[in-house]
Amino acid sequence: MTSAVDYKGAWNSIKKVFPILEDAYTLYQLEDEPLLKNEFCEAIDFIKNIGLSKTIQDLIVSKIEQRLRDEVAPEFWSYFKKSENDNKGFKQFYNAVKSLYDCYKQLDHTISKLELFRQATQLEALVYNEKCVHDALRLILKATLLSQLNLDYQIVVMNFYETALKMEDAEENDGQCIICLQESLHCNCLHLFQETNRKLGDMTLLEPLVGQTLTNLIYSYVHAHIQKICKDSFDSSFISVLEKWLQNVVINWLRKIYCYTSGPNSEFLVDMFDKKLVNYLYNSYTKIRIDQLFNIIIEYPESLPALEDLRVCLPRTDLKPLLTKKLQKAMETRLLHPGVSTPDVLTAYIAAIRSLRVLDPTGLLLETVTQPVHQYLRSREDTVRCVVSSLTEEGPNDLAEELVRGEAVQVDENTPVDEDSENWETWVPDPIDAIPSKSSVYRRTSDIISMLVNVYGSKELFVNEYRTLLADRLLTQYSCDTEKEIRYLELLKLRFGDSQLHYCEVMLKDIADSKRINQHIKQDPEYTESDVPMSAMIVSAQFWPPFKEEKLELHDQLVTQMKSYTSAFETLKGSRTLCWKNHLGVVDIEIELADRTLNLSVSPIQATIMMYFQDKHTWELEELSKVMQCPPTILRRKIGFWQSHGILTETKADVFCVQEDLENKDSNIQEDIFVEDYESESAMASAQDQREEELQTFWSYIVGMLMNLDTLPLDRIHQMLKMFAFQGPTIECSLQELKVFLDRKVREHQLIYSNGYYKLPK
Amino acid sequence: MAQNVNPFYEQQAGATKQNDNAKKTSNDSHAVTKRLHKELMTLMMSQEKNISAFPEGENLFKWIGTIMGPKDTVYETLKFKLSFQFPNSYPYTAPVVKFVTPCFHPNVDTSGNICLDILKDKWSALYDVRTILLSIQALLGEPNIDSPLNALAAEKWQKQDEYKKHVLDTYKEA
Repeated sequence: MTSAVDYKGAWNSIKKVFPILEDAYTLYQLEDEPLLKNEFCEAIDFIKNIGLSKTIQDLIVSKIEQRLRDEVAPEFWSYFKKSENDNKGFKQFYNAVKSLYDCYKQLDHTISKLELFRQATQLEALVYNEKCVHDALRLILKATLLSQLNLDYQIVVMNFYETALKMEDAEENDGQCIICLQESLHCNCLHLFQETNRKLGDMTLLEPLVGQTLTNLIYSYVHAHIQKICKDSFDSSFISVLEKWLQNVVINWLRKIYCYTSGPNSEFLVDMFDKKLVNYLYNSYTKIRIDQLFNIIIEYPESLPALEDLRVCLPRTDLKPLLTKKLQKAMETRLLHPGVSTPDVLTAYIAAIRSLRVLDPTGLLLETVTQPVHQYLRSREDTVRCVVSSLTEEGPNDLAEELVRGEAVQVDENTPVDEDSENWETWVPDPIDAIPSKSSVYRRTSDIISMLVNVYGSKELFVNEYRTLLADRLLTQYSCDTEKEIRYLELLKLRFGDSQLHYCEVMLKDIADSKRINQHIKQDPEYTESDVPMSAMIVSAQFWPPFKEEKLELHDQLVTQMKSYTSAFETLKGSRTLCWKNHLGVVDIEIELADRTLNLSVSPIQATIMMYFQDKHTWELEELSKVMQCPPTILRRKIGFWQSHGILTETKADVFCVQEDLENKDSNIQEDIFVEDYESESAMASAQDQREEELQTFWSYIVGMLMNLDTLPLDRIHQMLKMFAFQGPTIECSLQELKVFLDRKVREHQLIYSNGYYKLPK
Repeated sequence: MAQNVNPFYEQQAGATKQNDNAKKTSNDSHAVTKRLHKELMTLMMSQEKNISAFPEGENLFKWIGTIMGPKDTVYETLKFKLSFQFPNSYPYTAPVVKFVTPCFHPNVDTSGNICLDILKDKWSALYDVRTILLSIQALLGEPNIDSPLNALAAEKWQKQDEYKKHVLDTYKEA
């Protein structure tokens, strides 16, 4: 049968043309025998005749697949061994790609012949639906490789690109290649890198094999870079620097890699990368700045560039909620705990107000973030005092400067404010999360002092505190120099309005009047000044804050003097008289002892002690306390002052005597006994005393409601008070405080408590 | 012609009118609330032991008042509770005041209604809770026998001993 012989001959010639069909064929042998045109054509004709062209194509493709599966892929992946040395990764990957590429070239050769075969036989059937058989080969290659993916391959790829990227980033280089450790000039590594990329691009394996790893690498690289340059430096803007860096170093490098990707795809890929990276850059930078935001705020205004950066970044990212959350958290952990002193909290708060205003001119962010600070400040007792004292403090001070800038405080947010019609073009609507019921104008315009005043929501409280502080200052200084105070008062008046500060005005006027009255009285012929020259500070009880009450009987000598002063005043002022506050004032005394003389300015009580010791050298504590009508404990403390000056000594328990000679009893001076802290004490009734008075008001209401409604539980009393008694500027009374107060009344038998109900005793 | 009016506009106009009305009354009621708050404050601060009053609950327009029986009368040592109901037009209209504690008195009926001129035709906006309480307290000691609500009480008034017995009996019933 000729046909049988023909089959065999044809098969042989086909095998010759496509050696891959031969089992003995290896991919690494060089296939340089020239293609036998005749044999090839014969074989093709034959196959065409018997209609087996598709079978042959399938056979060839399946052989290629088998080779790839059994030899090429395992060979390729065998290069990917985890290695300790980063630089080895570079070589590993290079070699892997090199060998893969060689195999690929071989197979591609076969495919080229297949292509010819297809043309000759006019075969229409497609391989894997690819129009071009070369593409089909690449597809098969990709699929086979990915199906056998090695676990460590990402690490190796990462190493490869990381080293390359480091070489690219000029800053990292110091004239030496980090791979082969040769001088850059002689180094071939960059060339190897490019070659690898070209080969991968050729095989269209670049994106599938490397893309993801490359993305990860670049992300972490960018992140590390941002972190490195922004660490602890808030005083310059980095946005443009970073963007430039990204373009010059990273994107450029990517372009070099992707330029080998065939087709118009490459530009597109890089552009996409570009967009992704710019976005990532902004995101990472914003996140880092958000983490540092608390420090940035504290360092305001030095940190202004960082804030400006953040303001630019925020609209481009979606990180505002994160910012709010993180900042609140930071404030809570770093600011709002008992370890931070109130002035520090205030300083931070003011810095926050200023810096957040830079970030968000609508003030919404500020409002949200500082809400906890508000609440916390409200719970601190000395907040108002701190604010008021720093308002009027001398020297560079945020609040004082703010005050000088002067603007009326808007506590009432309903006050209509004329919109700035000139700036209408730059107007921006409120952010979507703004509460629409609150006027945005109010948020936008409120200044620092108003915000601080709003912590409590009432001007009265601030004004009251100012009054107390003013009274303290006036009384401790005993100076009639009120020029500075008047200046501050005028500034405050601009802010809080005349009516609020009327009391303070009267106080200052009192001081001026006192000065005049003193002069008048001294010229009065009726008034005789004995050995104690005296001038009085005459204040009107109506307008001054309540004084702390302390009982003190002054020395007779002083009492007579005061009487004579009073009568002189009465003649001068007609129907008015004086009511002396014995414990307030200052006395300049000169103490002459056997061996020394002391000049001191002391409080009346201390002067009185000295005057009594002048009469009699030894006093018992009990006895002196009776004469002075001052409790022994307080008296002992005051005597401690003289002990520390070495003027009095305690000879026996509770017996004190004057120490005339210092020399021989040197060791007895007890310096550490008590350094008098009188100056720091306020002459005004404490906030607690004032609170007591307020509670007394509540008590009237409580009596009223219990008288009429018989019995009530605690929360009901509280509710009723809230509805009917907490009117006007009075501060509220918490349920807890009310309970403590009522329990005290129960102990005092003014109230009966049973079964959770309070009632009045019969 | 009138039919050509757009019903929508008409409706709207009506609505705004209604709104105006609502606003007016709310303003008025605000004034009343303010006045009642003020009265409550003066009353609380006055520290008077014999009379007192306080809102009954959340509603500022309903109060409970307390008066002690006046000295040297049969009502001495007795404590009487009263209810106050303030109208929206207060203080231009008198509040409705009633005894809650049963009270045997010529001018108080068995359901606690009081016959007192200043609560009726003699009312003036100058009166307030405090003056009402004081007047009622005074009324206890000096009843108006000529126009009694409780005829029995008016009859017994002349015989103070018997009268006192009635007073105590009625009081105990509570």
